[in-house]
Amino acid sequence: MPANKKYLSTPFQRFLKITAGFIGGYIVMLSFHVLLTTFFEKKDVVITAGFTGYLLWAMLLLFAFLSKNGWKIWGIYLLLAAVFSLPYFLKN
Amino acid sequence: MNNRNYNIYFNTHTISGIIICALLYVIFFAGSFAFFRDEIAAWQNNTSYKTYETDHRHFDKLLDSLQEGTNLHGRDITFYLYREETFAYVGYTASNDSILNKENLAKITPEQQAANQKGRRRGGSGDAKNFTYNFASHRPGDYAQNYDMGEFLFRLHFLAQLNQVPIRLGIAPFGYLLAGLTAFIFLFALITGLLLHWDKLVSNFFVFRPFNKWKTVWTDMHTALGVIGFPFQFIFAVTGTFLIINSVLALPFSKLLYHGDQQKMYQEIGVTANDNYPYSYKPLHAKAKIAPFLDLAKSKWPDSEFKRITVKNYGDSNMHVIMELEPQYNTRFAGSGLLTVKVADNKIIEEKSPVADATYADYVKSLLYRLHYGDYGGYPLKGVYFILGVMGCLVIISGILIWLVARDKNSVPPRKRKFNFWAANIFTAICLTMLPVTAITFIAIKLSPQVDQDFIYRVYFYCWLLFSVYYIIRKSIRRTNRETLLMGSILAFLIPIVNGFMTGSWIWDTFRNGQRDIFVVDFLWLMIGIIGVLAYGKSRKFFEKIH
Repeated sequence: MPANKKYLSTPFQRFLKITAGFIGGYIVMLSFHVLLTTFFEKKDVVITAGFTGYLLWAMLLLFAFLSKNGWKIWGIYLLLAAVFSLPYFLKN
Repeated sequence: MNNRNYNIYFNTHTISGIIICALLYVIFFAGSFAFFRDEIAAWQNNTSYKTYETDHRHFDKLLDSLQEGTNLHGRDITFYLYREETFAYVGYTASNDSILNKENLAKITPEQQAANQKGRRRGGSGDAKNFTYNFASHRPGDYAQNYDMGEFLFRLHFLAQLNQVPIRLGIAPFGYLLAGLTAFIFLFALITGLLLHWDKLVSNFFVFRPFNKWKTVWTDMHTALGVIGFPFQFIFAVTGTFLIINSVLALPFSKLLYHGDQQKMYQEIGVTANDNYPYSYKPLHAKAKIAPFLDLAKSKWPDSEFKRITVKNYGDSNMHVIMELEPQYNTRFAGSGLLTVKVADNKIIEEKSPVADATYADYVKSLLYRLHYGDYGGYPLKGVYFILGVMGCLVIISGILIWLVARDKNSVPPRKRKFNFWAANIFTAICLTMLPVTAITFIAIKLSPQVDQDFIYRVYFYCWLLFSVYYIIRKSIRRTNRETLLMGSILAFLIPIVNGFMTGSWIWDTFRNGQRDIFVVDFLWLMIGIIGVLAYGKSRKFFEKIH
């Protein structure tokens, strides 16, 4: 019953996906919540992140595993993080 | 669902699950008992807090008796209250008066200094001191002396005992970090598990084939209990991660949004009160008393409880009493209150009702805490939480066994099969021996005349080690399964009996006297015993028949 190997990635690709999901996903999640503070009150975002932060992070980790290429997902995550944090850097 | 995604869900679910299984079992098992943390403490000390009548004058009496040995003038004193205000962690700082502080320091004898050094982590350093106080029995003590089984299991459920491991990765001590990581990986495993099962969620909901083969037994148990318990486990994965390791978010948020000022961030989301009241070097005219202010808070909001009481600058003319309150959660779900009074002129400085005007942040915070602690619906709710927690344990064990059985076939090389059995054998031995070991410790604390932190650690961890090693060497998962269940159930029956013999508080007495907290623990073990023996008997034939 173990999963069919044909769909799993090579060790290096796996490493890229895990790091993209865990580290990249964390950066995207954080920057997304920082983006939210431009629309909502800071304190509300901070406390809501207790739910949404970990949930989003876990889903981003999963998306990284679902992606076809580890490099690509790293690129997408970094791009997303950059876009999300734009308002913050413009403001400061 | 396309095949590729299915296999990815499958693989990530399996790997993340097998990595955390043993730790997660410990967390679920100890955590289920931790719902009854206060009750276990009451049971161990044989002092019911349900029958205690609150009297705030005890606070002043405690301060007066402290004053006899130590000059409290100018110090900040903090009470963290637990168990419906019958138990407190008390701490006082060095005096804010620089001259007095020098005098106090000069008075410290070398012996006191040595004792302080020894207990530095808990006892405080220099002239400051931390201790515990039991308002029901009027007994002070230090942390290790007043340690109880409730505290032990509560702390075990976030692996606090592993903090002794001298590895620190920036944000948290080792045990907390490990517990936080486990909770987060658990959340990931839950999401992948749900997606994996998504297409068959409805069609397979009532499928249970316990009479075919081992693999279907474990698979059906895993999916059935996993699906039913999913919402519960999901809440625990999220809130658990938040509660144990939220510095992962709090640190960067405070850096980015509050210019590194964490104190300010916590104040804004209503976790801490403003406590910046400087020492004035002018003594208070009247004798310092705090009971009237506590009475005032309680008369304002009768349906609330003190969470923390801070006395700033004791005996100084700028003395303040800061009271942080919570609503009683079975009457109101959310809220946080605050009352700060300046003692010299009885003026209210800050006031926020715990039972009205709950903000959005209060509600979210309440959801995070209350859903985790399960303290908003009395004992029936805690009972349901306990059952769901134990179901979590069963999901984990069946998960380990699916993993083993699915790989136990001729196409898998012998070396790998050997390793798989080795791993599953160790995991099940460690997990399943927790039940008898916990029961043994409950009995031991009743039989021993002197119980402190050392005693509980020794009994629990040595028994656990002994049992685990025995079953690891025994190399029969079926035996581990059956024997720990039988042993655990028989010991569970013994717990209320031993308690009755040793203290005279038999289960029917505590029920009649309204000592519900003590009763609940005996009752819980009785139920565990009955269900355990039933399960043992029912599964006996079945275990012989199946292959």
